Amino acid sequence: MSLRLLGVNHKSAPVELREKLAIPERNLAEATRQLAHHPGVREGMILSTCNRVELVTAHDNAAPDLNLFLEQYFSLEPASLRPHLYEYSEQDAMRHLFRVASSLDSMVVGEPQILGQVKQSYSVARQVGAMNGELDQVLRRALTVAKRVRRETRIGNTSVSIASVAVELAREIFGSLAGKTVCLVGTGKMGQLAARHLMAQGASHLLLSNRTTAGAELLAAELGAEVLPFEQIYDRLDAADIVITTTGSSEPIFRREHGQQLLQRRRNRPVFFIDIAVPRDVDPAMAKLEGIFVYDIDDLQNVASQNQIGRNEEASHAERIIEREVERYKESRLSLDPVPSILAVQRSLELVRQLEFARNAARLAGMNAEQRKAVDDLTRGLLNKVLHGPMVALKAAARDGDEEAMRAIRLALAGDSGDGASEDDSAKGGAD
Amino acid sequence: MGMSLLWLRVAVVLYGASALVAGWTTLRQGTRVRSFLQPLLIGGLLFHFVSLVEVLNNNHHWMPMAVHELESLLGLLLAGLFCWSFYRYGTVSLGMFVLPLVFLLTLAPAIGPDFDTFFSPRLRNGWVLVHVALVLAGYSALILSFLSSLLYLLQEQRLKSKHAGGSYRWLPPLDTADQISYRMLLIGFPCMTLGLLTGSLLAEASTGPSYFGDPKVILSFAMWLLYVFLLWTRRSAGVRGRRAVYLSCFVFLVALSVWAANSLSTVHRFSLP
Repeated sequence: MSLRLLGVNHKSAPVELREKLAIPERNLAEATRQLAHHPGVREGMILSTCNRVELVTAHDNAAPDLNLFLEQYFSLEPASLRPHLYEYSEQDAMRHLFRVASSLDSMVVGEPQILGQVKQSYSVARQVGAMNGELDQVLRRALTVAKRVRRETRIGNTSVSIASVAVELAREIFGSLAGKTVCLVGTGKMGQLAARHLMAQGASHLLLSNRTTAGAELLAAELGAEVLPFEQIYDRLDAADIVITTTGSSEPIFRREHGQQLLQRRRNRPVFFIDIAVPRDVDPAMAKLEGIFVYDIDDLQNVASQNQIGRNEEASHAERIIEREVERYKESRLSLDPVPSILAVQRSLELVRQLEFARNAARLAGMNAEQRKAVDDLTRGLLNKVLHGPMVALKAAARDGDEEAMRAIRLALAGDSGDGASEDDSAKGGAD
Repeated sequence: MGMSLLWLRVAVVLYGASALVAGWTTLRQGTRVRSFLQPLLIGGLLFHFVSLVEVLNNNHHWMPMAVHELESLLGLLLAGLFCWSFYRYGTVSLGMFVLPLVFLLTLAPAIGPDFDTFFSPRLRNGWVLVHVALVLAGYSALILSFLSSLLYLLQEQRLKSKHAGGSYRWLPPLDTADQISYRMLLIGFPCMTLGLLTGSLLAEASTGPSYFGDPKVILSFAMWLLYVFLLWTRRSAGVRGRRAVYLSCFVFLVALSVWAANSLSTVHRFSLP
């Protein structure tokens, strides 16, 4: 059985094309079913995320035309699609799949969502009966490899976006965010994103303050926040543990004296200022106060960049793990190749047949050449008929990855389990 | 080899494994290995407790009369307090420092004979155990508070320097380090107070009021007053962060000097005739 993978991703295709190829979750089962019934496809799976659409198939004989499937399913012209497609087969397909599941091929290397998306696609393919043999094993191996990469490297341990870096820093100051109050000053997009992230990570209360109350009320309703009138901000800011500022003010709105007042009111409990505004809303002198931690956009970006460098270093470690896993899988596939076992069984039983002929040479001596040929054909045919069932079982066991069954059949018929199979067996098998 | 020694050696192995797990989990951020920490630590504590009870019961009628027994008791208290802080705050990084200390404190009694034993008949008093156990519990809490304070300072410096992506990612969250440090002071205070009280009553009963003129006793009470001041500044004056940490470190250093004075001084040593 052979593997083939065809797809587009964020590196090979523009978003306009990826949008056209995206398969909604509700349609994934039907699309996978259609792929499994596409001519030449034995097993199939579709991975569809916002950054990639990939078809993974296993086939027996001639490779299926997966380009045709994409063109037909999405009703697209070949000329608009083919320049953006990439295609892998066999070991390269497997390597690509391992890399995708391990998040090495993602737009943000190390992001955790892709593993869940691969699991989802795998689960759908199994549900619709599109996966039940070797591809199933490859996918299971891909999931195991991805978990190993997560476990043995720190590829996903750090944050690389501004919003997630802000959450990470808040955790490093406060530990758990449960019970913490966030105050969003201004209505900038990045500030909103950071506030949403902090709330999603467990912060319990959100205050929203803006110079124009109308804008604040609208956004507060959307975010589930309490509106803090801008004129009361210095009096009530002590309720906030984390302050995100993103106003368009040309002068700092939080100065050192505000910080001192704040610390006094909070009985020196720490405050974390996330200053995303340009020009900055928080006077840098405030960062010198003990108990106040100020990170502006550049500081957050620096942390994100350092984390990204760390991730890239971990990614090279992950690549080595994947290469080893691909080799291991290739070796295990070779050991499951049924041809050496078939040849061993055939050779062994042919030897038995030849020995029986030699043992009965005296009794067959009276026969003419035609009669001798008839006996030869008869015994050979008998042997082939008897071996047909075990040979089919041997091939099925190899396809299902059932090494134990293969060993048992070979032991019963050829007298050896194949553990110490000679190298020329494998070589012959590979050549065949 | 008595059964108590066997239990102690099992505890030492479990503490050693806990220290390795804590180090690995902290530095490699290995979540998988982390799950072994609690069972290893609880196992170590149980074996250690059984061993200590057996030793104290069989050998000295509940008196820790040897240096090794005191080390073992201090190790048990430290491990117990760390176990509590791990359960309460989920911070492993403190264990990277505490557990090797616990391992060393229990290793000595587990492998070597004790050369320093207190033979004074005055020690044959049940209240001495109470005094020793309470003072050691106070010291254990101070050690953990001190270590946690150091981690706080490192984390604060790291966050202020804005190089948060660096190699000190393993440090505990600032607020957690502060809370552990404070909680340990709160736990240690009643232990230290009652320990000093029982010790003073015992000393007065045996040597009379002259005991209170001993410089090391005066230093002990000065340490206690400093402890009270530290708790008051934290609780009432709202002193937190770096200043609280410096104060906490100072109390620890004074406590350490009291310990040293008690060990080195020849005044009122029960081991001397």
